[in-house]
Amino acid sequence: MTRRTRVTTTDLTAQGVTAAKGRAHVVRTEGLTKVYRSLLSPAGVRAVDNLNLAVREGETYSIVGPNGSGKTTTLKILLGLIFPTSGSATIFGKTIADLGVRERIGFLPEDAYLYDCFSGEELLDFYAGLFGYSKAKRRQLTDELLELVGMQENRRVPFRECSKGMRQRLALAQALVNDPELLILDEPTSGLDPAGRHQMTLLIQELKRRGKTILLCSHFLAEVEEVCDRVGIMYRGKIVAEGALSELAGEPTEIVIEARGLPETAAEQIAALPGVLGVDGELVRMGHAEEGRLWSVLERVHQAGGRIVEVRRPRPSLQDVFVRAIREEPR
Amino acid sequence: MSQLRRPHWPAALLVVGLLLILAPLQERIHSARPRLFDPEQRVRRASAITIGPTAGVIAALGGFRTVAADLLWLRVERAWHGGNWWAIIPLLDAVVELDPHFLLAWKVYGWHCAYNLHVEAQTLVDKRYWLQRGLQVLERGVEANPGRWDLYFELGWTYYDRAHDAYRAAEWFRRADEFPDAPAYVTRLVYRPFERILDFDRLFPAIEYARAKHLDDHHHQRIVNRDLEWWTTRQDDPQEHRRQIVIENTRRHQRAIPFHMYPDNPYWDVCPRCGMPSAKDAQTCANCGYERPPEGWPDVPLIR
Amino acid sequence: MTPLASRVIVLVGVALVAAIVVITRRAWLPAVGHTFPSVWRIACITVAEARRRRVIQAVIILVVLLLSSMTFFTYLSPMEQARMIISSGLAAITVFGILLAIFVAAFLIPAEIENRTIYAILSKPVKRFEFVLGKYLGAMIVLGAIVAVMTVVLVGVLALQDRLVQDLPDSRFDPNLGPVILAAVLSYFALAVLTALIVLISTVGSTTMTVISAFIIWAIGSLQSTIHDLAENAAGVSRLVLLVLYNVVPKLENFDIRHEVSNFMSISVVAAWEAILHGLGYIVVVLILAAIFFNDRQV
Repeated sequence: MTRRTRVTTTDLTAQGVTAAKGRAHVVRTEGLTKVYRSLLSPAGVRAVDNLNLAVREGETYSIVGPNGSGKTTTLKILLGLIFPTSGSATIFGKTIADLGVRERIGFLPEDAYLYDCFSGEELLDFYAGLFGYSKAKRRQLTDELLELVGMQENRRVPFRECSKGMRQRLALAQALVNDPELLILDEPTSGLDPAGRHQMTLLIQELKRRGKTILLCSHFLAEVEEVCDRVGIMYRGKIVAEGALSELAGEPTEIVIEARGLPETAAEQIAALPGVLGVDGELVRMGHAEEGRLWSVLERVHQAGGRIVEVRRPRPSLQDVFVRAIREEPR
Repeated sequence: MSQLRRPHWPAALLVVGLLLILAPLQERIHSARPRLFDPEQRVRRASAITIGPTAGVIAALGGFRTVAADLLWLRVERAWHGGNWWAIIPLLDAVVELDPHFLLAWKVYGWHCAYNLHVEAQTLVDKRYWLQRGLQVLERGVEANPGRWDLYFELGWTYYDRAHDAYRAAEWFRRADEFPDAPAYVTRLVYRPFERILDFDRLFPAIEYARAKHLDDHHHQRIVNRDLEWWTTRQDDPQEHRRQIVIENTRRHQRAIPFHMYPDNPYWDVCPRCGMPSAKDAQTCANCGYERPPEGWPDVPLIR
Repeated sequence: MTPLASRVIVLVGVALVAAIVVITRRAWLPAVGHTFPSVWRIACITVAEARRRRVIQAVIILVVLLLSSMTFFTYLSPMEQARMIISSGLAAITVFGILLAIFVAAFLIPAEIENRTIYAILSKPVKRFEFVLGKYLGAMIVLGAIVAVMTVVLVGVLALQDRLVQDLPDSRFDPNLGPVILAAVLSYFALAVLTALIVLISTVGSTTMTVISAFIIWAIGSLQSTIHDLAENAAGVSRLVLLVLYNVVPKLENFDIRHEVSNFMSISVVAAWEAILHGLGYIVVVLILAAIFFNDRQV
């Protein structure tokens, strides 16, 4: 049985989701299925299995999943690069076969596949030209976008001579050339070093602030946590869990006190205190509802000689949710 | 799924319609092509069937017959300058087979057989063979290039100069002269063979024919008028006739078979003893009284 | 085919084409204003990409050197030299043109799919047939430039060749350059037809398959007379196969007047125009088929 968390308007807690409440759906799929058949596997491989996806205007939605879960296939179907076996998909309320829809979309492909013999300037000029912009407008757009992605100084460097980070930034710039309302980003931080990833995350946050709807695919959960309003965990072509981050993670279940230098004898005594679930080394765990006894436990720890470093209410991380959701899926 | 893709039937029907228009046109162009590119010419079909599989595949692929013919022609040049006259023959054969419109190759081939190899041949039989072969080659060349005057002229000249067959020569010169781009000397050559054999019945009409052409060419008109005047005054001069025959028999191509010994010549015959012309069906030579041997007896070599 | 039958077929074809064009006018008329700029942009990027490829530059330099070297036949008579320069020069233009056409065209679409640069283009409001058309147009501009360069060099060598005859300055042979240029133009249209077929195959196949098929089509297209002879002598299935090959594969011989030009024979301009117009029609058919196949291709 697939565990799916349906999002209802009443339990939205994330800021972006609250803001998107009541807005129209930008991306919507119903029963979307893609089966790859071949001579060697006539039964076929279900890359996308009865997918129902809904992304509202202004929100940042991320599809996360392991390699081969169907994330990129879903994006390619939405962009008309491949054709679904069954089901339907609409963007801005129109079928994806409608080319007018693409005027309002920007797509960042995985690994920045662009012509490598041209410079960033030339590439942006070309892609802007595909929208029918005049020469002056193309020049203006090129300058603005290169400024936005921080590639002004390297505008004449050929694409093949750019570093991975520069390539990703240029690829993002080409996705923004038509000032799209919907941005589809496929693994925007893949292959980047931490500094590059940080820069890309900042850019995505900037775009989010400008009110763009972002559909993001990634398996870097840390970046997803930083930018996304809602997350869909995809596994074997299906969404196995979906919702706002706080929704998915759930409520904190315990209070943890990190105390250094606590003697073992004192640890046993503290573990026996009411409200304390246990002591693991330097960590004293209390039940989430035992907030009222927190101060007394803190005092006992201090009296026992422990130096209190931190008190926190840990939530399961997205990674925990991810691993849990996948583990629960029948094989 | 199908609602996301456009129907293809309008495009498919468009394709069918266009193909219906194009198919007859392509066939028309292809089958008419040899005639279209020059209405007068009949190009021999250049397929592997006619010129042999190896040469056909190598040379006909992509239409590189001309280049292959050029390369062989360079080899002809090298063999020529190396003095290897006999090796040139198969090369020339291949060149004209590959490129039947290469006029120079036909000319050289015909000339080489009828002149050089004819001279080099040791026996009369071989001599006759090479002369006949040269004429045959030139006739093939004419058949392959019916729209060019050059090979008609070459054939006529070989009959005139080598085979001493004035009638055939005159006929080929006349055909060459039918082409509008044939030069003036070809027109004059229409009557020259008749001068040599003193056939005045044909000579004067031919001179008139030549006079009526190339009216703007003063040089041509001057020569034709000069010849007309000459033969008008010397038509009945037996001294001049004898002079002409002696000239004919003592020209530098003496080793060639004189025209009157050419077996197909319908009008003239020669006395094997004295070499003077006599009527074909005469049993006795009017000059020396030699009695001709009966039919079927071997040829008696010419005694001078 | 009798003349009446062929006229009937042509009329049916014209009626069908006109009917389709009128019926579907609502679909294509509004898009015309958008189509040409997109096609042109894609063509320009194709040309720019080809210009930066070293291989093409190297081939052009090689051919220019080859053509220039043909001035070394000075031991031949001027007429023979002119003939040799023309035949070899036009053959070089054809051979290198075809090789370049195959390698440019076979890599047009499959390379974009394999390198995935097509994602960034098809995710923009570019129709698939505009992409195919733009790629083809770009390839033809590149090939046209290459053929033009080679023709200019050949014409220059021809114009200069008589100046290289040292001993007999009066014995010049000035060949008429018009037929040489016409032969090069017809060669270009043969390349255009071949390139269209290669693009058609590349919309469904990989690069390797496209290159091999291109060479096979070139061979068949050049040997159409042989195939016709073989078909006349064959029977049964082989005759059917040969007839299909004969009628379906374009007759590249229709564009080949090199033989006539090398031998200084007269050329019919009307026939050349007919061959060009037919070639253009064939190209339209093939590109429509390519657009249909590419529409269904999953990238």
